[in-house]
Amino acid sequence: MDFLWHRVSEKEKEDIKNQAREIMASFEKELKKVESEKVELGVRRKEQLRDETKTQCDPEFRKRFLENAPHKDGDLIKAEKGSWKLK
Amino acid sequence: MNFLKKVKDTLKKIGEEDGKEGINSFLHLNPDVLKESEIIEKKIKSGKAGKLAGKIIAIKSNMNVLGMTANCASKTLENYKSTYDATVVKKIKKEDGLIIGMLNMDEFACGSSGETSAFGPTKNPINKELISGGSSSGSAASVAAGFCDISLGSDTGGSIRNPASHCGVVGLKPSYGSVSRYGLMDLSMSLDQIGPLAKNVENVKLMFEVIFGKDGKDATTFDVTEIPEHKKQKKTITIGLSKDFEKLCSDKKMYEIIKKKVAELAKKKGYKVVDVSLKHINLAVQAYYPLCYVEFFSSTRKYDGRRYGHKIDETCGPEVLRRILGGSEISQAEYSGLYYRNALKVKELIKQDFENAFRKVDFIISPTVPRLPHKIGSKITPQEMYSYDALTIPANLAGICAISIPISEINKIPLGMQIMAPAFSENSLFDISEEFEQIK
Repeated sequence: MDFLWHRVSEKEKEDIKNQAREIMASFEKELKKVESEKVELGVRRKEQLRDETKTQCDPEFRKRFLENAPHKDGDLIKAEKGSWKLK
Repeated sequence: MNFLKKVKDTLKKIGEEDGKEGINSFLHLNPDVLKESEIIEKKIKSGKAGKLAGKIIAIKSNMNVLGMTANCASKTLENYKSTYDATVVKKIKKEDGLIIGMLNMDEFACGSSGETSAFGPTKNPINKELISGGSSSGSAASVAAGFCDISLGSDTGGSIRNPASHCGVVGLKPSYGSVSRYGLMDLSMSLDQIGPLAKNVENVKLMFEVIFGKDGKDATTFDVTEIPEHKKQKKTITIGLSKDFEKLCSDKKMYEIIKKKVAELAKKKGYKVVDVSLKHINLAVQAYYPLCYVEFFSSTRKYDGRRYGHKIDETCGPEVLRRILGGSEISQAEYSGLYYRNALKVKELIKQDFENAFRKVDFIISPTVPRLPHKIGSKITPQEMYSYDALTIPANLAGICAISIPISEINKIPLGMQIMAPAFSENSLFDISEEFEQIK
């Protein structure tokens, strides 16, 4: 396969999904080699909370933001309900 | 030279040599560039200009520049106009850098060749049949072609250093937490870093000095108010070479050239060269991709076609979809951290390998990419493509800083040398890189 961009067909989508699964499985097989090694996982931080900084609101931001919205009603974004699910 | 004339000449050069039939490094040019150049020129003449005045700068299309198109080289965000400036962009503008345009890249930074852009591959200015490398393909190609002085790219597993190596320019991946990612459209938040590319170390250093520092809008940034100075008091610098890196090079000739260059500098400067062990880096690619797939899947859920653009799953190309579907798969409860936990474990082991190595040496050096660039459109497997980053991913997993500098050529194709140093030692990297520049 080449890596040039093209539109993906439904059939190709299924192939890609299987390919991703195979790649991850092959990587996992390699990663298992370190299972016996002891490692402490987690983020080491002295402080758990950060200082909140005050930000100023840009009065033009809402207008610019809405310009990118594909469907809108005045200054509201229109969105469908419940159809956003990964197939 | 008159700055306005420089900008006009550059625009002419871009018009003649870039575009789809040419190098294809730009996706969008700043329509106000001449007006902004005039303002900067006035400041230069009055002696009140910032550090970046006189420099032409281009930005990878995954960073927000107010009013410009930041489409991540994807149909998903084809008409998306940035509504604000990323922190790095704000800093550039404050120092009077002129942003000339937005650059081509692998779609959503998913790629190592510059081929996955929905707007066509970026060609390598050295040989237009070859890939430029990626994912910051336009960032490296635009600098190599002379379309800008400095560009910004982002590096998650080598995306600055890899194209810098293939195009024969300098590219820096700063330490994790040294540069704000606010305004960057993320690939993998635990690994992404923004960094500069230029034809020489001097310009990379100049840009780094402008963009680094803590930002309240990016909680991962550290409070490093000054770049740590090179330890001048130290009498002997020790450079580490590692057989573990050598094993990952499919082209052994590359490693030999790097070793020779290291020996040459060491002899000239009286530096020591020793072998270091990095025994887990052979698992870097295998650890990186599960982390990247999962984090990318999570980050792409905002591209739902409601607030901007289109639904990503319906409009993206094959490599982006592979990562989304793979990330979705391994995020599912049935795997319960099977992939992710082991990947995190290897990440930590690699970090420890580097910590141990840097107790003995100041720098670790390797080639940047394990093989030479392929012809655009070549048929290769995803695993082969992923292995392009085998030498650069370790630095991302360890959170350290790393730079790629052009050091030699093989069959007229540039060869990059990667120099790695402990986190927040960017100044040391610049010093030794400049020394290598002198013996090139």
